[in-house]
Amino acid sequence: MDRLEARGLTLAYESRTVVEDLDLTVPDGRVTVIVGPNACGKSTLLRALGRLLRPAGGAVLLDGAELARTPTREIARRIGLLPQSPAAPEGISVSDLVARGRQPHQSWWQQWSAEDERAVTEAMERTSTADLAERSVDELSGGQRQRAWIAMALAQDTGILLLDEPTTFLDIAHQVEVLDLVRRLNAERGRTVVAVLHDLNQAARYADHLVAMRDGRIVAQGPPAEVVTAGLVREVFGLKSVVVPDPVTGTPLVIPGAPWAA
Amino acid sequence: MSVPLAGYTVARFGPASFLVHRRSVAVAAALLVLLAGAVVASLCLGESTVPPASVLDVLLGRPSPDQLVVGELRLPRVTVGLLVGLALGLAGALIQTVARNPLASPDVIGVSHGASAVVVGLMSFGYVQTARQVPWAAVAGGLAAGLLVYLLAWRRGMHAQRFVLIGIGISIALSSLTSLFLTKGDGLQAQQAKVWMTGSLNGAGLEQSAWLAWVLLAAVPAVLWSARAQRSISFDDSTAIGLGLRLNRIRLGTALLGIVLASCATGAAGPVDFVALMAPQIAVRLVRGARLPLFCSALTGAVVVVAADLLARRLLAPVELPVGVVTALVGAPYLMWLLIRSRRGGS
Repeated sequence: MDRLEARGLTLAYESRTVVEDLDLTVPDGRVTVIVGPNACGKSTLLRALGRLLRPAGGAVLLDGAELARTPTREIARRIGLLPQSPAAPEGISVSDLVARGRQPHQSWWQQWSAEDERAVTEAMERTSTADLAERSVDELSGGQRQRAWIAMALAQDTGILLLDEPTTFLDIAHQVEVLDLVRRLNAERGRTVVAVLHDLNQAARYADHLVAMRDGRIVAQGPPAEVVTAGLVREVFGLKSVVVPDPVTGTPLVIPGAPWAA
Repeated sequence: MSVPLAGYTVARFGPASFLVHRRSVAVAAALLVLLAGAVVASLCLGESTVPPASVLDVLLGRPSPDQLVVGELRLPRVTVGLLVGLALGLAGALIQTVARNPLASPDVIGVSHGASAVVVGLMSFGYVQTARQVPWAAVAGGLAAGLLVYLLAWRRGMHAQRFVLIGIGISIALSSLTSLFLTKGDGLQAQQAKVWMTGSLNGAGLEQSAWLAWVLLAAVPAVLWSARAQRSISFDDSTAIGLGLRLNRIRLGTALLGIVLASCATGAAGPVDFVALMAPQIAVRLVRGARLPLFCSALTGAVVVVAADLLARRLLAPVELPVGVVTALVGAPYLMWLLIRSRRGGS
């Protein structure tokens, strides 16, 4: 059985229902990417998977237990999450930021175990942030900052990692760098990753399992090669397009139509 | 062993390990020295000047000709000032942390105004007649106002901005209420109430210091708890919850502790303005840390109050000013600077 799943999930802000009666199983050890147009409920769904939003109906199950009934610290040892625009305490150094990822494993009398040290060192090495250790997070470039945040989530040492649009505000080189890092983390450790991405082509390229959403429902899910078709792009995004194989990876590549160029 | 955590030293005792921020320790040591200096200076200076050696004799319980002046007259007052400063500095750091806003100190979000309104109201109408009753009235008023602000600001969780705005609103309402009491009340009583309202250590004695010391001592475990939790509550809510923090519980506990400490300090000395606002901000700049340092904020508060009271006693000697006048003279420009700076900051 897979570790993380949503059953009959209904999500609402105040009285506005965003997601209704949704079922989703997140495949273990895979990279799942959720895509969809703006306001389709993809980020809301991710927030619910990370217990940031309490379901109005149904439940999110982690290892078979309802997330809403699991102590938040327990969850923090199993699910790491990186919100869309995280805010760090002013003036915090990179190493201090990454070290905060160890919070759920620490107690007032165990503030820095050998295990903490190992996890932080490793997280910083894997994200190439070790040489930024003493720099203040405020003064980093966008790409460096995002790597520092990912390092923090890694130091948390969880089997499941939730990333909400981790490439927003990054230029293309840094987007690729972050996504490559995510793939590597998954490949080396078998970490389960769920990410919300804006860019359909990036999603098709980096996902093992693609979930396409529209109006709070899952329209299609499966391997990108099967899911991403011109028909789906029209159904989900309302966009006319041609889907060709990516010349580098062979994954589907969506080329939007150009009515003005006819 | 290489510690990747910049600025910290790890102290290990068997399975236990503690993180020590090196600069905080140095700053705390310096503040302690400064505080000791301010205390000794306060005990030396006055209508008659007592040599430091004689002050030390009194402090160590050795016989001294200055026992009366130093031990009976000056020491109780300095002690109250010290404790009030500690409590206010700590309260300021706690509440500013919860609100994530340097403007959110107990004197801005209604605690001291609540204390004033209740004390002045009861004094003006003759319900509070002895000095002994004042602290209780102040504590009750401060707690009530602080909790009211917290409850009104609560809507499916605590939002920092709302906390500050509602606090300022409640403060203004309470100030008007206080003015109303002052004009309605009987002349002599109102006069006394006015003196109390400026925050004064004149005539402060061991009675105030004893119970304030107990409150501070009782708060130690709670402060240690919040210091630990405080490490990560200045993240955005999502990140903090993701790290496994029970955010609402921590915020409530921290705010409650701050409100209690501020109310008690106000009960002991009246509303000594701006100390809770300034102390944590000065301390965090000294420590250069990523969060408001609790211990250093408390020490800074103590240094500020003891030094300000010394000034208040000597500036226009033999007239003794209320200490709140001095802290307000220093604090008001600082508050304006903070406002101007935060407007330039744009957020």
